[in-house]
Amino acid sequence: MTSVLLVYFVMAAAISVLAIKEDRLQKSFIWQGNSGEDGSRKVLLELQDLTIKFGGVTALNAVNLKIYQGEILALIGPNGAGKTTVFNVVTGVYRATSGQVLLNNQSLSGMKRHHITKIGIARTFQNIRLFGDMTALENVITATDVHKGSGLLGGLFGTPRARREEKAGRAKAHEILEFIGIDEYSDRLARNLPYGVQRRLEIARALGTNPQLILLDEPAAGFNPAEKVELAKTITRIRDAGYTVLLIEHDMSLIMGISDRVAVLDFGQKVADDLPSVVQNDKRVVEAYLGVPADAS
Amino acid sequence: MKLEKTKTVSEGNLRDWGASYWEKSSPTKRKAIATSLIGLAALAPFMGFGLLDTPVSDYGAVLVYPVGMFILMALGLNIVVGKSGLLDLGYVAFFAIGAYTMAILGTRTSLNTWQIMPIGIALAMLAGLILGLPALRLRGDYLAIVTLGFGEIVRISALNTREIGGPNGIANVPVPPSIGPIKFSLNDQKAFFWVVLIMILLTIWMIRRLSVRRAGRAWEAIRQDEDVAELMGVHTLKYKLWSFSIGAAVGGAAGVLYASKTLFIAPEMFTLNVSILILACVVFGGMGNIWGVVLGASILAYLPERIRFISDARLLVFGLALVITMNFRPDGLLPRKKREKAIVKSAVGDKK
Repeated sequence: MTSVLLVYFVMAAAISVLAIKEDRLQKSFIWQGNSGEDGSRKVLLELQDLTIKFGGVTALNAVNLKIYQGEILALIGPNGAGKTTVFNVVTGVYRATSGQVLLNNQSLSGMKRHHITKIGIARTFQNIRLFGDMTALENVITATDVHKGSGLLGGLFGTPRARREEKAGRAKAHEILEFIGIDEYSDRLARNLPYGVQRRLEIARALGTNPQLILLDEPAAGFNPAEKVELAKTITRIRDAGYTVLLIEHDMSLIMGISDRVAVLDFGQKVADDLPSVVQNDKRVVEAYLGVPADAS
Repeated sequence: MKLEKTKTVSEGNLRDWGASYWEKSSPTKRKAIATSLIGLAALAPFMGFGLLDTPVSDYGAVLVYPVGMFILMALGLNIVVGKSGLLDLGYVAFFAIGAYTMAILGTRTSLNTWQIMPIGIALAMLAGLILGLPALRLRGDYLAIVTLGFGEIVRISALNTREIGGPNGIANVPVPPSIGPIKFSLNDQKAFFWVVLIMILLTIWMIRRLSVRRAGRAWEAIRQDEDVAELMGVHTLKYKLWSFSIGAAVGGAAGVLYASKTLFIAPEMFTLNVSILILACVVFGGMGNIWGVVLGASILAYLPERIRFISDARLLVFGLALVITMNFRPDGLLPRKKREKAIVKSAVGDKK
């Protein structure tokens, strides 16, 4: 008799715990709702309690962040806030101390970097890191290679599949360069390209891996206002083509103009995550950027 | 933008000139050039007179070893060092493995050189994998030191294993059986030279083929920025292992032929010096460029034999020539591609 009661008790406890969890999920669901119509959207990438420590320094502290399919999410914050660290954890460059990253509910922990790229995450670099001795086209083809089935031996013996894939990769790369608007540079060596073209080539190369999510690390760095406007159009077109964009940027007008949501990091913690207009007026965000007024503390 | 393209004409670089000439030529012209070059190379054993002759050494023998062998090995090492940017200082190990495979199987079984060749290549590739799996997790100088150690391990193991002759080596390695009317003998080494030439051509074909395909791009990406290559989806360890084992295969093939040619091998033939000399061929000729490597290896192999009459001073002269050349051409005699395809395209366009 007592054992039956015990079973009931355990079951009841389990149900209530689940219900509470469900409730919390529901809440966050509703909360996300205030950032637009994304209540119905699919979560593409999720950071769960992501913490990363380098020795005594906590670069990221329990960061939770969801990126929905098909949106542009801007990640902003003062220098050293941990924005690039987020990119490095997502792409597998750093290992999280605790917490995890989920892509389509699949954990990326322990996954090899090239495998993460293969399942759909690509990035650009804050300091341009193209393959300088390759042409622009070859840079992009190298990225498209990730989805090819034929390897070294196929290439050596020129199997029909290898030839077909080689041709398809070349066509795809041209298509991407065209899309980004730099196809006229396709046969130029990457290191001889003008700065602005190099930055855009970085984006093209990332698109070459056919990602679900593309991470752009300060793509507008060093751009003049006209180039920034052009870039904003490009990023919007990338989103409209079905890619999801996670963007690190310092240029506020660019961010406020194109992002669907803005997340703010400060000292490794997320301090805000909302519509651009809401974030702009968030007290903690203003404090993160400008400091706390002397009389307020 | 179109204007800008046509303006960037090559800077009179010999390599660029050759490449644009090649790309501007029609397929028939290309075939003619290739055939005549191969024909010229095949006739090399008959050109041992006048200035080309080597006064002290036998010209025919010099063409096979060191010239032919060095070109072959330098091409193999070029895949590892030039294409993928992995500094390998123990390349002689693969050469030794090929040579010992030939010597052991040749003296103890009834297999002939052509049958042993694939076994030697396979064993060298296997050695490349065994060395590569742990070593390729390292980069740069650390990789160089591990590979250097590997080269020495192979040599010292051979030195200390009595079953394979120890310091005495293995004698009476059989020469290859004749192919039709072509006989292999020590007195007339033309046949050996032609075999080496065929192996060189096969290697060049392989490298050219791979360079424009996925593997070549992967190697190139790894050489330029390994981290980025990996983040762009290149399976870096896999392609580095491929690079290592293909390089090893070429070295192993050279080793098999070498043992079959010299009839006698001993551990002292496979010292670190050989690795370094082959590496010098690659760097001197132009890392990553096939024709640079071929030229570099021919010069570095041939020159010491040509000036052998000044005996002891020859290494000094040789070293001096090396230093001077590297000062004037730090990227090698024929550096890797610096030009852009667009130049050629527009040049063709102008002609029409």
